[in-house]
Amino acid sequence: MAVDTQKALLFGGAAALRLLLFTVFPALPNLLAGRVEVSTPVTSFKRLQEGLFLYTHNVSPYDGGLYHQAPLLLPLFSLLPNPAYYPLATNLVFTAVDLLSAYAVAQVAQGGAASVSRLFSSSRKDLKWSSTAIAAGFLYNPFTVLTCLARSTSALTNLFILTAMAKASQGASSTFILALSFAAYLGMHPILLFPPLLVLLYDARAAKTKTTPNAWSFTVAHTLGLAAVSGALLAASAVLTGSWDFLAATYGVRLLLPDLTPNVGLWWYFFIEMFDSFREFFLGVFWLHAASYMPGLTIRLHKQPLFVACTLTGIFAVFTPYPSIADAALYLSLVPLFRHLFPLMRYTFVASAAVLYASFLGPAFYYLWIYAGSGNANFFYAITLVWSLGLSIIIGDSLFAALRDELDVERPELKGKDVRRI
Amino acid sequence: MALISSLLALRRDARILKIPPYLSALCIVIGIAWLLVLPLNDYSRNTYVSENALLPGQVHTYFAGSEHNVFRAYRHEVWGLNEKPVAERSQRLADMFRSNNLKVATQKYSYHVSNRTIANENVYAILQGPRADATEAIVLIGAWKNMQDEANTSGVALVLTLARYFKRWSLWSKDIIFLVSGDSTTGPQAWVDAYHDGHDERHVERLKIKSGALQAAVAVDYPAGPWGHRYDKLHVLYDGVNGQLPNLDLFNTAVQIASSQMGIGCAIQRMFDHRDSYKERLHTMLRGMVSQGLGHATGPHSSFIPYHVDAITLSTVGDGWHDEMSLGKTIESLFRSLNNLLEHLHQSFFFYLLIQANRFISIGTYLPSAMLIAVNFSITSIALWVASGRSTEPIPNPAATAPLEDEPVKEKTAEKSATVTPPTSSEKPDMELVEQNGAKALVPAASTTITERHLLFPLLSVLTMHFLGLLPLYLFNTWSSDTLPALYLTMANATTLFPLLVAWFFAELRPLSHQENTLIQCFSLLLLGMILAALATLNFSQSFLIGVLAAPLSFVRKTNKTWLTVLQLILLALINPVMVAQWSAKLLGADLNHVLVLAAQGWAVWGLWTQVTVWLVWFPAWVCATVVVAGGAVEGGIL
Repeated sequence: MAVDTQKALLFGGAAALRLLLFTVFPALPNLLAGRVEVSTPVTSFKRLQEGLFLYTHNVSPYDGGLYHQAPLLLPLFSLLPNPAYYPLATNLVFTAVDLLSAYAVAQVAQGGAASVSRLFSSSRKDLKWSSTAIAAGFLYNPFTVLTCLARSTSALTNLFILTAMAKASQGASSTFILALSFAAYLGMHPILLFPPLLVLLYDARAAKTKTTPNAWSFTVAHTLGLAAVSGALLAASAVLTGSWDFLAATYGVRLLLPDLTPNVGLWWYFFIEMFDSFREFFLGVFWLHAASYMPGLTIRLHKQPLFVACTLTGIFAVFTPYPSIADAALYLSLVPLFRHLFPLMRYTFVASAAVLYASFLGPAFYYLWIYAGSGNANFFYAITLVWSLGLSIIIGDSLFAALRDELDVERPELKGKDVRRI
Repeated sequence: MALISSLLALRRDARILKIPPYLSALCIVIGIAWLLVLPLNDYSRNTYVSENALLPGQVHTYFAGSEHNVFRAYRHEVWGLNEKPVAERSQRLADMFRSNNLKVATQKYSYHVSNRTIANENVYAILQGPRADATEAIVLIGAWKNMQDEANTSGVALVLTLARYFKRWSLWSKDIIFLVSGDSTTGPQAWVDAYHDGHDERHVERLKIKSGALQAAVAVDYPAGPWGHRYDKLHVLYDGVNGQLPNLDLFNTAVQIASSQMGIGCAIQRMFDHRDSYKERLHTMLRGMVSQGLGHATGPHSSFIPYHVDAITLSTVGDGWHDEMSLGKTIESLFRSLNNLLEHLHQSFFFYLLIQANRFISIGTYLPSAMLIAVNFSITSIALWVASGRSTEPIPNPAATAPLEDEPVKEKTAEKSATVTPPTSSEKPDMELVEQNGAKALVPAASTTITERHLLFPLLSVLTMHFLGLLPLYLFNTWSSDTLPALYLTMANATTLFPLLVAWFFAELRPLSHQENTLIQCFSLLLLGMILAALATLNFSQSFLIGVLAAPLSFVRKTNKTWLTVLQLILLALINPVMVAQWSAKLLGADLNHVLVLAAQGWAVWGLWTQVTVWLVWFPAWVCATVVVAGGAVEGGIL
């Protein structure tokens, strides 16, 4: 692909911004790595350092009880010089991860799967932003920049999710399976993106080969592929750490929530308050709730699989146990792909005001709780509720818009008429 | 659902756009009026001690008799050290502490602020509580120089005497640290930073000995010379850096012990003659708010509060009949109360406004006023957002007033979402049929359609203005103190002309559309309202004062009327944050250059946030509004 100047400028500018912030404010990465809004127990760079220390001293990284991230990250980061003394290499890696993610976003936008799919073509499909603009939206999103500066490993998970989306919309089966397996391996819940992205891949393949492959054999083949790659990754992890203990320390922690460090999500407060006897029941309920969106949305909106995948990332940002602003950054950068739905959305101002208010009040209330000692946990939790409310308004509003868009195509005579729920 | 759809229909109503300015004004009026009724009896409460363990004034104090002779001896010693170099002074003070069998250490510090060097030395001693396990400590501070830069001779002598006296008691269940800091603000800051390992090794020495977690700190300011001075009242100082306050229980305990047990009157906020009238209460509250809003250090105690160590300063004022022994007894009793504490002070209020030494207003009562002021910006911002989506085409006369002709009526429903009306070639206004609850009406399409908003340029403009604030922030905090007055004058001129220049550039290079102007103001006010609401929870007074001073920004608009534009520009020039600094300094009787030097020192040493709020929040909001208004002046040909 020819490098056009606009894109080169955009990527160069974003890289320069990140490296500039890294060099001008050398204390900033460590400060951000300690912020609960940015770093969760399962993505924190500080905990990665802890795991790395144990790993390089030939102790199981999970023995300390602090490290809950995937084992394969360890050999990767042990190759880099110690970030306490030579931070440049690590900074370059995380900058590169952001640029690659932006490239993937741009590819998704280029594919045009957002407004036109095999079975559905929006009536407003001409209304869209260029792929450069959408990549810029990702690269200059303050949440993305903060995640990059905090060197949170969710940046890597986001990269693999976005690559999986890009490859699925291009119809590249093997790279899609690889990318999604890595995303699921690092973050666990991205496995839920498999069904909608498989539909997207199927559509892309059908468009590419101008035939419709057998749906069943297609599904079985790809599921087996995913299982094989994931199995290989897990086996490699087991070989690396010498036992299967890592499963309990990584996925076990994500599933069972033993670490109740506050974050921007809704789980920690509930599980602090809850009596122990109800814990298992509510863990089941919360996970069931978070996972149940996937089948429902995939079936109802199977004509717009990319929209389902993007909405699911938004649901992950609200309803998973350890969300951070990195998940919100991923979702908010994907929303502009659906420019054609914007005229149908009704609460954009309310939602963005809620998200903005929460981003200012959140750190203020956390400060009052932890440092000033004059507030308490309820202050911060109230703001995480507002934050989740803002994100869920965007999710709900865009869902409404997508359904309305489908209705406009199915029943053109209803176009412009008011809908009422009966 | 019906409610939501009728609400949605309501936002199409043209009348709704007329309400917000009045609503905003109402918020401001109520916000200010709210503050004015606070000193009344119905809205304030008498203070009370809520922590059971404190038991203020319940112990008999024994600091008397021969201790007086000891005190006089120490006072002469300290007085003799006044002219001596710092090293010798520290040496002598350390010797005096050491002769009482206390562990002693010193700490040097040297800060470089606006090309000046602030260097001195702290001396401190630790009394290990006989019943303590070195996990908790309380601090008694006597700064060498007080806030007025007078030698704190009797204060330091009292700290030495109390050190000797406390050492003989076996009842201490917490360690007691005696700190003689080199000066009143920088020294305690260096010490408390180093105590919590939050110091910068280049400027501040590490502490050689430490004790447990600090529970409370009390500073004594008693600048009487070798022959003593009988004082009238105790002035209790409680404002911390960045407007944080100590737990009200500590303040109450001190006031109750001083006034009930010792019979010494207490004053706050330099209101030495408080007759408890409405006017004086209001005056006290406003002084407290200005002090809190500026966020500067008001005494040696201020630096402790950001570390969640509750602290106050007791300062002697006036001529009366109380002597050093009654001050010593007050401190003894206060320390006995603090010694009783089983846990960190947490029971009482951390957010309060005091209107008298024993009357306060709690956060629930006063917070709404600052929030109302902040909400006024958000309301205007929402109104501007709605306005920016409206078509700028003039709304034509109702169809009924036009001569009858057969005109095509486009049928549309009102509640449908955005559809851009295609421009019609006919002269007839585009009409549409609105149906709501069975009633139908023909209204001009221009009043119901929503135009597409172009967000990028206004958003970037507002963000750029906010980033530009970094420049003065950097300059004011790094330039040499000699050049600060010149820098200030330049800034005053430059900031007044800057928005006009920007408006002119826009007009020449890229004329702003009506919508872009509206959106710039909308985003700027949205940010301002949001940050002020967040700030109100951290520093109520700062948020309130900035909110009131920035209130006109909600009401200024770009207009074609020349006189209105000129009037608005004059008003805006007056509320330019730089100008506000000028006239408020004059009003409060402060020396502006001194304030600038102190502000730079605050930024470098105390971690003061006030400048950040001014330059990155208030100033950009002012610039955005002024650029929009000045756009009218440029178009009107005034510029």
